[in-house]
Amino acid sequence: MIKIENITKSFGQLNVLKGISTEIGKGEVVAIIGPSGSGKSTLLRCMNLLEVPTSGKIAINGQDITDPNANVMAIRQQIGMVFQHFHLFPHMTVLSNLTYAPMKVKGMAKSEAEKKARELLARVGLADKADVFPSRLSGGQKQRVAIARSLVMEPQIMLFDEPTSALDPEMVKEVLEVMKGLAHTGMTMAIVTHEMRFAEEVSDRILFIDDGRLLEETPPKEFFQNPKSERAKQFLEKVR
Amino acid sequence: MNLDFAQIVPYIPFILQGIKGTLLVTLISVVLGFVWGSILALIKISKFGPLNWLAIAYTSVFRGTPLILQLTFVYFATPQLTGYNISQLEAAVLTFTLNSGAYISETIRGGIMAVDKGQWEAAKALGIPYRRMMLDIILPQGIKNILPALVNETIALLKESALVSTIGLSDIMQNANVVKGAIFRYFEPYIIAGTLYYVMVMMLTWVARVVERRMRRSD
Repeated sequence: MIKIENITKSFGQLNVLKGISTEIGKGEVVAIIGPSGSGKSTLLRCMNLLEVPTSGKIAINGQDITDPNANVMAIRQQIGMVFQHFHLFPHMTVLSNLTYAPMKVKGMAKSEAEKKARELLARVGLADKADVFPSRLSGGQKQRVAIARSLVMEPQIMLFDEPTSALDPEMVKEVLEVMKGLAHTGMTMAIVTHEMRFAEEVSDRILFIDDGRLLEETPPKEFFQNPKSERAKQFLEKVR
Repeated sequence: MNLDFAQIVPYIPFILQGIKGTLLVTLISVVLGFVWGSILALIKISKFGPLNWLAIAYTSVFRGTPLILQLTFVYFATPQLTGYNISQLEAAVLTFTLNSGAYISETIRGGIMAVDKGQWEAAKALGIPYRRMMLDIILPQGIKNILPALVNETIALLKESALVSTIGLSDIMQNANVVKGAIFRYFEPYIIAGTLYYVMVMMLTWVARVVERRMRRSD
């Protein structure tokens, strides 16, 4: 589904990604973990071209998205993204946050968009919040709305960039539950996270990134019980 | 002290008639100046080479020369250059639009740049095209940031509109000038004109407060 071939990314003199290749299959859930500044968020952001790779190739369903002539907007419509800080549109109600893109980007009728939006809000447990503004929601509720906002576009892939890192501890669980539910529906997901237990439980594969390189790519059990690289061992000792 | 308001009473309706000219110039220029300023701000942000450079040069010229000179220039030089006999109102609105557009564009640009970068990223990630993103997501938030500055600009424009009296457009100031000439008294007509401006500014301030409160609904 997503094929990443030897991508690098530099910001000026700083080389953040130093040649990463991997593949994510349809329906697969991949957790990307590693120390701060290792490049895991940058890797994720390359997948929907919020960052354009300096070199290398990314293909989604065989379509090369790093081709300069690629239709970036059309590609992004197939890829949902959830951010650490939610980034809901503060001047719109929760319902409008969900219906805006399907109506204005996909040309969906208002009634249909609202019906879908309400279904999704119910699915993330926020049916009663449709008409409030985001500022009235807790962090966990905001993040669930943000997930619903991505899902309403019917993406084929969902990217999560540290979705629980900005949340108070008691709100982490409600967001992880929604993500777990989503994983069970067969959604293809790439998740940058610091929640090791969640990664172990939900993901099919762990990508361990350190200093811009992909050091390990193994099933979660194997990774957490018996990491191959010295860096992964050190990292796991620190976080657990 | 030599004050005699009895003499001026018959002329008060005439001074009040000037409100129409003042309001006309101010309101049209504010609306057009806002639209023009938004366009300039979007050009400046877009980093589209030559247009971007032009917008910056434009702003620099209109901020770097006196407004009264711009007004005189537009009113007297337009017929000379184009042969078109520009009316006083046209010249006034054109000048004030071009001038306030330059000022407002900088304010709007600042407001847009102050919108959280995450808003741009969220919009991009949803596949929202640039134009829609700017109009529906970024601009509304940017303008909310700068609402107080926009009110200041409108108040400044209302007061500066008195300059149109120099090209003979019948506004509050010009009508007060005329009354002065008719009765040879200064204090009375100008104290009335000053009061009118002050009351209008106060009303504007009040309207702005109501609008601002409405826009802060989502906080």
